[in-house]
Amino acid sequence: MDHETLTPLPGAELRPRVFDSISRLLPRVIGRELPTISEDMKLMSELGMRSASMLELLLEIEDDLDIQIEVEDIDGTAMSSVGDLADFIASHAITDG
Amino acid sequence: MTAIEAVAAYLPEQRISVEDAAVRLGLTAMQTRLFRRFLGLAEIRLDPGGSLLDLLSAAVCRLDALRGREHQVRYVLYARAMPVVEPYPVNTLRELCLKVGLGHAVSFTVTHQACATGLLAIDVAGRLLAGDGEPDALALVLAGEKAFTRDAQYVPGTSMFGEGATACLVSLDGPRDRVLSYASSTRGEFDGRLDALPEMASRFEKEYPLSLAEAISAALAQAQVSLEDISLILPHNVNALSWQRLCRRIGFPPERVLLANVQVTGHAFCADPFINYTTAAELGLLRPGRRYLLAAAGLGATFSAMVVEH
Repeated sequence: MDHETLTPLPGAELRPRVFDSISRLLPRVIGRELPTISEDMKLMSELGMRSASMLELLLEIEDDLDIQIEVEDIDGTAMSSVGDLADFIASHAITDG
Repeated sequence: MTAIEAVAAYLPEQRISVEDAAVRLGLTAMQTRLFRRFLGLAEIRLDPGGSLLDLLSAAVCRLDALRGREHQVRYVLYARAMPVVEPYPVNTLRELCLKVGLGHAVSFTVTHQACATGLLAIDVAGRLLAGDGEPDALALVLAGEKAFTRDAQYVPGTSMFGEGATACLVSLDGPRDRVLSYASSTRGEFDGRLDALPEMASRFEKEYPLSLAEAISAALAQAQVSLEDISLILPHNVNALSWQRLCRRIGFPPERVLLANVQVTGHAFCADPFINYTTAAELGLLRPGRRYLLAAAGLGATFSAMVVEH
């Protein structure tokens, strides 16, 4: 993708698709099945994710939704839950303008 | 006041893309992609046929300020991330000293602060020279290692190591670059294999930016300057993302951290801040009287920062 022509996506519109994508891809990234995935599920303390696996998940989501995610503002402490991650991605996604 | 009189750097010519390096390391496609996409690494430098002696010699040979002053060098310090790199009785440092006319100097290795050891070695060199009190005495501080095992090539999800070497000529005093401060803290609770201890690794990830920010603050306070007085940070090249996040935390403009080499050298162990120094000099970014900050973190874990005035 050409970075010059990328434009932000409307976050509210994207948010449900992001949560759905996280729900489908998270088990593959952490290497185990999850019976349910909830908004308040803790990524690090509950699922054992680390920054590397978080970045792998972001790559999977980029491919899945055909978006790019700006990660310069990423902050692990502010993204403790699945819901936080979905919020971050929805507000930091860009795509071809 | 300790002065870094001159710095020289050597990077091997062979460039290996992170994708090719990842194949050798057996990484998955996603583990590979995140290096270029998020961490800012694109290639590393290697000299597969070259020895450690070749690597270090190349840096010393580029240190023009040393020519004709070899007799003034009292100490040669080799800053090393890896505690052991060769079997006894091989002693590359001694071989190097003999090769470059420094056989008379006291030579030794400084280690156990992993990739933060380079800054420690500058501090130790300054202390030794100050203890002797001989105004013309010099110390030579070397850094650079062979990426010779898997552990020496890769930190999972964080960085890839490349080869490169630096040589710094340190004097008791001088007009530039004057070392205004050095601060370092070691967090021994993080000594262990991060890939085998996930709980410790998780804590380390949380503590890393806090501890590095604290080391930077301590160095600034010791130098009696503020972050606004720092014109440039010469970082260790672990990856670009961690520096962007740290900049946001401490309120420093990320464009004033010299991250250009992350893409083209990878993480060259203890040599990074000094490789970046030579790049900054080439780019005309070092101005007389300006202050800049060298910063590094080492697994194990040590966090260090040094304020220098050009």
